[in-house]
Amino acid sequence: MAQFRAKKLDLSCFVNARVIRDHTKRKVFEQYETQRQALRYIIRNTTLPPRARAQAQLQLSQMHAYTRSTQINNRCIEGGKSRGVFRHFRMARYPFRMNALEGNIPGVKKASW
Amino acid sequence: MSVARSRILDLMKVQCRIFSMTFNPERTRTGNKILRQRLKGPSVAAYYPRRVATVKDLRALYPDLDTWDEDEDDRLEHVALMKTRGKGAPKKKRSADESKKILGKRKKPVAPKAP
Repeated sequence: MAQFRAKKLDLSCFVNARVIRDHTKRKVFEQYETQRQALRYIIRNTTLPPRARAQAQLQLSQMHAYTRSTQINNRCIEGGKSRGVFRHFRMARYPFRMNALEGNIPGVKKASW
Repeated sequence: MSVARSRILDLMKVQCRIFSMTFNPERTRTGNKILRQRLKGPSVAAYYPRRVATVKDLRALYPDLDTWDEDEDDRLEHVALMKTRGKGAPKKKRSADESKKILGKRKKPVAPKAP
């Protein structure tokens, strides 16, 4: 959503609309995480009055979708692809292979036996 | 030999006090597991590499530093070339009268019909 997007681009990896969107979601999630956790605590706490818990449920469900962690999807920093991305290297399988064969990724070596 | 439940509860209470745990013999759900979770926001937001400093930022910070911009040089060269060929941008109009000349070339609006 435009209201969350940074006015100036602050990424130095491959950039397209989907990468910017995902990056925005990550920052929004970070900003609202404590609020979400507090609401979640109120909902789970059975010692609190039921009315307060119901209100917390409503509030949590009405928060913006971008504050949700499930909206975040790891994307490739080399090409912005969302599928076949290695979590540890943050790269899709093909750019990973190219970089690994070039020796750009420390500690990665083509197996041969 | 059996021990009374109240004795065991007392023992648990003391144990919880000593090791600073919450005493909850009925196992009611207090939602403490939410509070125990670590915040993952900072690590999630640090996924994509951030832009640190660019040449543009450096130039803005130190204007007297001797730097060059290849794209800007190319543009200026192109502009100069066009000007020598007489294809440069028109001069900026200083007054309203001068800028009205362009308006005169356009189609005049049709006058409304008399009733």
